[in-house]
Parts: sequence; C-alpha cells; structure tokens
Amino acid sequence: MSKIIASAAIRGAHKIFSRAETLLKETVKKNGESREVKFPGTAYYLPVVYALTGKKVERLCDMYEPLNQAKSLLPKIPSENLWLPYLGDALDAGIATLIAEEIIEALKFVNGNEPINGIWLGPTTDAVLREQGIKLVDGRMPGFAACVGAPKTKEEAVKLTRDLQERNILVFMSSHTNGVSMAEQLAEEGIEMNWDTFLVPYGKDTSATVHALGFAVRAAMTFGGITPNGLKEAREILLYNKNRVHAFVLALGEVDDEKYATAAGAINFGFPVIADTDIPQILPTGICTYEHVVSNIPYNEMPSKAIEVRGLKIKITKIPIPVRCGPAFEGERVRKENLAVEFGGKYTTSFEYLISKGLDEVEDGKIEVVGPEIDDVEEKARLPLAIIIEIAGRKMQKDFESILERHIHTFLSQAMGVMHLGQRDINWIRIGKEAKNAGLKFKHLGILLRAKLLSEFPAIVDKVQVTLYTNEEDVKRLYPAAKSAYEERDKRMGELTDESVDTFYSCQLCQSYAPNHVCVITPERLGLCGAYNWIDGKAAYEISPHGANQPIKKGECLDSVKGKWKGVNDFVYERSNNTLPSFSAYSMMEDPMTSCGCFECIAGVLPGTKGIMIVDREYQEMTPSGMTFFNLAEFVGGGQQTPGFIGIGILYIVSKKFISADGGLKRVVWMTKNIKERLKDKLAERAKEIGEEDLLDKIADESVTTELEPLIEFLNNVNHPALKMEELF
Amino acid sequence: MEIEIPIKKWSGKIRAVTIGTEKNGITIGGEDTLPFHHFEGSIPNKPIIAFEVQDIYPSDWLDVVKEPYGEYLKNPIEWAKAAVVKYNADMVCLNLLSTHPDRENRSADEAAELVKNIISEIDVPLIIKGPGSSEKQNQVLNKCGEAGAGKRCIIASAVEDNYKTITAACQAYGHIVVAETPIDVNLAKQLNILISDMNFPPGRIIIDPLTGGLGYGLEYTYSVMERIRLQALGGDAMLQMPFICFVGQEVWRVKEVKVDESVEPLWGDMKKRGICWEAATAITLLLSGADILVMRHPEAINIVRKSVGRLMEK
Ligand code: SF4
Repeated sequence: MSKIIASAAIRGAHKIFSRAETLLKETVKKNGESREVKFPGTAYYLPVVYALTGKKVERLCDMYEPLNQAKSLLPKIPSENLWLPYLGDALDAGIATLIAEEIIEALKFVNGNEPINGIWLGPTTDAVLREQGIKLVDGRMPGFAACVGAPKTKEEAVKLTRDLQERNILVFMSSHTNGVSMAEQLAEEGIEMNWDTFLVPYGKDTSATVHALGFAVRAAMTFGGITPNGLKEAREILLYNKNRVHAFVLALGEVDDEKYATAAGAINFGFPVIADTDIPQILPTGICTYEHVVSNIPYNEMPSKAIEVRGLKIKITKIPIPVRCGPAFEGERVRKENLAVEFGGKYTTSFEYLISKGLDEVEDGKIEVVGPEIDDVEEKARLPLAIIIEIAGRKMQKDFESILERHIHTFLSQAMGVMHLGQRDINWIRIGKEAKNAGLKFKHLGILLRAKLLSEFPAIVDKVQVTLYTNEEDVKRLYPAAKSAYEERDKRMGELTDESVDTFYSCQLCQSYAPNHVCVITPERLGLCGAYNWIDGKAAYEISPHGANQPIKKGECLDSVKGKWKGVNDFVYERSNNTLPSFSAYSMMEDPMTSCGCFECIAGVLPGTKGIMIVDREYQEMTPSGMTFFNLAEFVGGGQQTPGFIGIGILYIVSKKFISADGGLKRVVWMTKNIKERLKDKLAERAKEIGEEDLLDKIADESVTTELEPLIEFLNNVNHPALKMEELF
Repeated sequence: MEIEIPIKKWSGKIRAVTIGTEKNGITIGGEDTLPFHHFEGSIPNKPIIAFEVQDIYPSDWLDVVKEPYGEYLKNPIEWAKAAVVKYNADMVCLNLLSTHPDRENRSADEAAELVKNIISEIDVPLIIKGPGSSEKQNQVLNKCGEAGAGKRCIIASAVEDNYKTITAACQAYGHIVVAETPIDVNLAKQLNILISDMNFPPGRIIIDPLTGGLGYGLEYTYSVMERIRLQALGGDAMLQMPFICFVGQEVWRVKEVKVDESVEPLWGDMKKRGICWEAATAITLLLSGADILVMRHPEAINIVRKSVGRLMEK
C-alpha cells in the first residue's frame, strides 16, 4: 500500500475519531447519557456501527463501547522515515473512521443540526433501502457511486452525473472540495435530486459519506440475511458487499486526510476509489476484486473506468434499434424482391471477425461504420463488409473468441428484416426493404451485436467495440488478418490434445431423459451430440459456473492407453448417481462412455470381422449388424454403458484418440456414405497418418453391402487391415 | 418363515420448512426416508393440501369445480374464508392471475392490498402465486411480499431466468421461495444453488418440479421427483428441499376432465371423473414425495386427505 495514502488515512482517522469523542462528551454533558439517539426510519440502529461491531446504539451511553472499539483499531500515526507501509493498518483506520463518522452524524440529530436539510437527504430509511436495494441485488441497478467532493466545474458535474445515470448507477453525493459540493453544483443547474432520479445528496460533510456505507451494510443485512453480532458477522457483511454490492468511490478534487481515511473505510467493503487527481495508485489486488485506487482519470472516463475496476455488469434492457428483435425472427428470409442491401454470399467479400483485446484497448460502446451507410447506396446494392468486433473482459480468453463469434449468426438473425447465414468469411447478410424503411442503419447491426454480447455473456464480456467496414479498400486490407486468425484457431484446436490439459469438461444436459448419462468432453473427444467441444465446455463453465458443464480434474492417470483417470472416474461415479465406477475415454469395449440419445453416429462391433461399423443418424436403411440406426439407438441409448457400442459425435472419428485403445480407425470396416462424404478430406489425412493410405477404399458402405457375409468377403478381397488385428472381444 | 425387511439407511434428510407465523405455523418436510417408508426412517410431518383461491372470478373454471364454492367465488376474501371455515383448509394459495398483463393487468398495489386483507381475514398460512410474466411477476411478488412481511408466506415462483428479485424480496420480508424448474434434476439443483448463492437460506426454498395432470406427463414428473429425492436422501444438500405441486390448475384443464358425458358417454359422469382425476394425480405425486399439493375441488381434497391419513399410519 502506498505509504502516502496509508499515512494520510491514519492521520485522518485520528482527526475524525477525536472529533467524535469530543462531540460525544459535549452532547452527553448537555443531554445526559440516557438521551435517545437514532436515525429516522430504520430498525438497524446506527447501521454501520451495528454491522461492524454488533452493538445496538439506542442512547448516547451506547456510543462509548463502539467508540472504544474504534480507538483500539486506530494505528499509531506513522513517523516520517521509520514506518513501513502496511495495508492492514490503513484498513483498520478506515473502519475506525466509519464508526466515528456515523457517531458524528447521529449526534447531529441530537444537537439540532439535522442532516436532513434543504437538498441534503441524510441517512436512508429502511423502506427506501428495500425498494432500491432490491434493484442492486437483482441487477437492475449495476451498482452505486459514492461521489466525494466536487468536479472542477458545474458542467462537468452535470456531465458526470448524466453518464452515471445513463448506466443506471445510483449516485450518492457527500463532502465538498474547497467548500463546493457536487450536489450544490447540480442544484444550481436545476437538476432534480431524490431517490426517484437516483441522485442522492447525503450531506456536505465528509462524515456524511458514511450513509453510503450505511446503505451498503443494510443491503447485506436485509438481502444477505446476516445479523450482526461481532467480528465474524462484520466480516461476512464486508464480504457480502465485496461480492455483491458493486459500489465504488469517486474522489473528486483534492483528497485530504479525512477523505483518505473514509476511502480506506470503503476499501474494506471492496469498494475501489477512482480519483480525478494525481493521488498515488494502489493497483495490486487484495481486498478489492481488482484495483484499489486508480487516479488521474478524466471525468468522461470515470464511469467506464469504475465499471472496469469494480467489475460492474450493465444490463441492457432495451436495445435501441428501430426494428423488433427476438428469436421469433431468427429463421426469417429476406427475398430478392424485398432486398435493400446485401453483403457476401457469392457476390462480395464479406467476413466477421471477433477478437479479444486488453481492457484499455477497447472503447466500450463505440460503434462505427467506415464506408457507405445504408442510405448512401442504391437499392439492392451489394457491398463488401468486414464486421470487426473487439472484446475485452477480465475473464475473456483467446479460446472464447470463436465461441462468441459463432453467436453473431443468432444475434443478427434475431433482428426483424435482417438475414444472416454462414459464418467467418463465408457469411451472407441481407437487409430487407422494410427494415431499411423503418430506419435501420448498418450502425444498428453493431449496436445490436454489442448489446447481445454484453447481455448474453456478462461473465466474460465487459467491453465491446464494433466497426463495420463497407468499402472495398478496407475490407481487402483487413481480410488477411482475419483469415490467418481463423487458420490459427483451427490449428490450435488441432493441436489441443488430451495430454496437454489437466481438466476435461462434463456435460449433463441430457440427464433430463438419460438420468445417469455424463458426457466427458476432452480436447480430442467432443460431446456425442457433436454440439459441444472442449472449448465450448470451458466457456460454458465460465459463463455459468453452476450449469451443466463442470470441470473435471483428470487426476492420477490409471491407464493411459484406455484413457482412465482417477479424477474422471470419481466424477463420473458421483454424477451418474453412483452407478458407473469406471470410465475409459478411448475404448468402446471396456467401460465405454455412456450414450444418451442424441449421438450423431453409433459405432458398434461387427462379429466375425474383427472390426466395427459406424452408422449416422441420417441413414435409415439396414446395416451389416442386422439393425438400423434406430434399432441400435434403442439399446445403446438411455445412459448406460454398452460395451461394444458407443454413440459418438461425427468428428470423433477423425480424432487421434478415436477408440485408440481398441485399435483406432483401422478397425472401421463399414461406414455410411454420408459419413465418408462429410469427413472426406480429414479421413484421407488420418488414413495417411496411420500408414493406411487406401483405408477409405477398404471401408465398405451401403453401396457395397448391408449384410455381414458379403461384407466379410469384401474385407478379404481388399485385405482390410482389421483382419490382421487381434479379436476385439 | 421370517422375512427380514431390508432397511436402507440414508445419509441425507429433507429440510423441515415452517410456513406461517408462530401462531398458525405449519411445518412440512423433515423426513429422512422415501415417502411413507415409516419402517425405514422418520416422517415427522404430513403432506399438506392448500386450497387454490383466485383473485378474480374464475370464469374459465368448469361448473363442477365452481359449484362447491358458489357465490364466494365473486370475492377472493370470501372465497378464502369459505375454504378455511367451510372446508377446513390448512393453507390457502392465492393465485394473482388478474395481474397478468394479458389478463386484467391489475396493479401490484391492488394485489398487495388483497394480500393484506386476506391475511387479516384468515388465520392459515398463505401461498402467494404471481402471474408468471417476468416483469410483472417481480413487481407483484415484491409488493405482495412487502404486504405480507413477517408472515412467512410461500412466494411462487422464482425461475432460472428470473429469480433474483423474488429471492431478494423473500429475503427482505422473511418469506419462503418456490424454485420452479421444468422437470429436470440438474436444473432444479442449479436453481437452488443460484438462489442460495444470494445468501438465501436453503432451508427456505421449496422445489416446484412442475407437473402435468394424469395422462399429461405425470409419470415424467413422478420419476424426476423420485430422482431428486433419491439424490437428496443420498446426501445432496442442494436438493434436500420439500416439494410443492400445483395440481388443480393442471388437472382441470385436460380434455378428459373437460369433455362432458353427452359427448363421451363411455367416460362417465363428468363431476366424478374430474374429482377422481384430481385426486389420482395428487395421490401419485404424494407417493413420489410431494409435501404441499395445491388443489381445487373440495371433494378431491377430501379423498386425498383420507389417503394422507392412512399413509401416515405407521
Ligand atoms: S450429448 Fe451433447 S448435450 Fe447431451 S450431455 Fe452430451 S454434450 Fe451435452
């Protein structure tokens, strides 16, 4: 912790404490010890004192004990050269400060200088707290800003206020800078301030800042169900605030010792301080989720900086685009007759590229169109397009880019009158005439994408910036980078191996009808429905930590050939409701993965061939096993292990780990044409890798035969490699 | 020959939840064995039936169900009183249907007023059921939660997409929350975790697994409830909550109950058929673990009560 800040905070705490002490003495002298003292409209006594000490202050004499506790927390004022900065001291000083400040504020009610006065609203009542607090808890309000001091000018105060209001952030105001307070600045500009406008002036003294924390502690007591009773509960209340009440302090103007002391109090709650002046920064994370103090932030950047530092999540309730938007419009086509503009298809170069960047490299909400807008071009124009989406997020990972990018399709399709097909550099976008007439601009596509990305992926996306290039030159210039990124991603996917990671992911979505089914998704084996690969699982877990995809630590390797790990076994046992004690990732013969029902293909042994067949869902005719896909599905599915048979995602066939314990791809003696067709190049590649270049020709399909006897004959004729292998069972 | 009945000892136990105030409180749950397996463990509390009362005249109800309540249906307070006084209801479920934006769109304040009045008129615990539509659901249940502050009502329902406001209201005003998920063990568990993650005590959550009437997916609910129970008793703390099942609303809309005997003479007397349908659905759900059943027809309720009586005999 910065020595300057720590020393200032401790000095400030001492000042405030002795003021409280003196004031209490005088008040007692005048009114007697048993004089009642309370804040109006609350059942929480002096809320901060109550929360932090468990003491219920109802009379003046009840104030001695908390004040004594504050005193015991006060660290010695550090000497100039000897003292080493220590975060704990400053934090303790902060707590002492808050206790003292709340006592000072409460005594005002006894001494007749009521804090509720003119524009100043004083402490919050419980009724207001419940009404407003619920919005904090359910996310309608992303958080609150405790503004301490005042911006340099009235205009800047108004601008800052508007920026915060726009984001639904509740604004608390207290203290002043050289006699000027922010609330007074706003009042002079004729701005209405009350709980309905989310602008709450608490009081002009620095001590009035404590009411913001009084609000915070009562949120924890009311909505967190925590009843104060001493240190342990105080800690819980502080943690509740750190984790759920997304508040921050805006230090406006010069920061004096008392403000430092109060800020140190707020840091205990996990509320970071954003300052406009050049005070020392405290960046390393510790108490606060991210930084503690960041400084020298211009007013116009304060809200976004605060959002970033406090990890606020802004909810976008209504997306400001002129057409309707929702899943109902997803499948809608824009026909030629109705066409206003189109991009891509086979006509122009068009691509979409989502890239993650650092938090300071992305300007959230910046949506730009470079090149002609919709009104600049004639009807039915065909334009080139590059949609570049830049994302930043504390939890964003490079691996998630492709996942988010895949959602561009759904998001754009959901706008009425917009058609989106394909992905990456094979996309095709059409905008219909009606949408254009309704006022839809290219820019709105960017607005829509940003809003959707933020609201659908709040856990990983914090900032979104979108640029749409509609001129040939830029699109051509930007394309190579996107193309190489696509290739890079595919390469990375190809390079990810089961050995290179220590965690797999589960999928239990299908348990609703196959109660004991658990998909174990590894980098080299995707979920059997084909819809989830390892990266999807990883992202899904980040996005929804209690969802259907959970991490599975591999743990000790029990059998590297069959693919058995202790961690995986334990997980599968528990999640299969204690029915499957052992699982092998690479064998279909011993403890294979269970099959739910949504497998893309079924692989099954063919007695007498030493090999296996693979049939896909589309193929409805007979197979050499004497059963159709649906016959097979019936006894393979349902969530049991059926040795000799597995449901698989089609891409697993070309994985190096495809039943590698049982002999791998060489075992395949029969496979439907559909599969051969879909995997063509990849199969050829794999065949080459395993030194069986002509394997594909040796694998029979329905055009060769659908019966076992002729199949065996065929295999002998082509000298299929499986014939030389050991029996499977 | 002596036959030894194998006894299964479970490590888990369903949480006991008390609804209502100190004066009228009713406790459900608390069992450490499967439904009515008295030979295996203890079942300290019997399942409870709540009478459904709507905040508006139920014009879409069949005459068969309306008939026992007669004129009372015109006034929800009278209706609730009749359920308690005339039919000895243990609990009342106030369905705030008319607040739905597609219905009469009554305001949250009106609903809250009604809740206040009902609470002052009847002395059994109350279930408050919102209109379901998410925005309105939040407004209504928040206001009604406030109106019923401290009465420990059951507030229905929180769903995965919309649980925070309702949970916060239940926390602030001291109520019990219903966590509703569509017939799925993992989703039920996930929602319970999400709600508990808000610092809400798990001991104040009740699971609504969603059910259909007999013939309309009841067996699906049955097996999901069974699995939730098995997992709960097996030790999964995030599933150890009692169940609530909204039976009446499902039963009385199925074709087999609504078609009258002039159309389907073989189906027999319509009144009897409906009552049996509701009772059969309810009893099935009891056997899979239901702790609270929300029902409509007093005669069906009577049948189920008798069954509960016998099932609770040791
Ligand atoms: S089949 Fe697909 S959806 Fe089902 S559990 Fe496996 S990965 Fe999940």
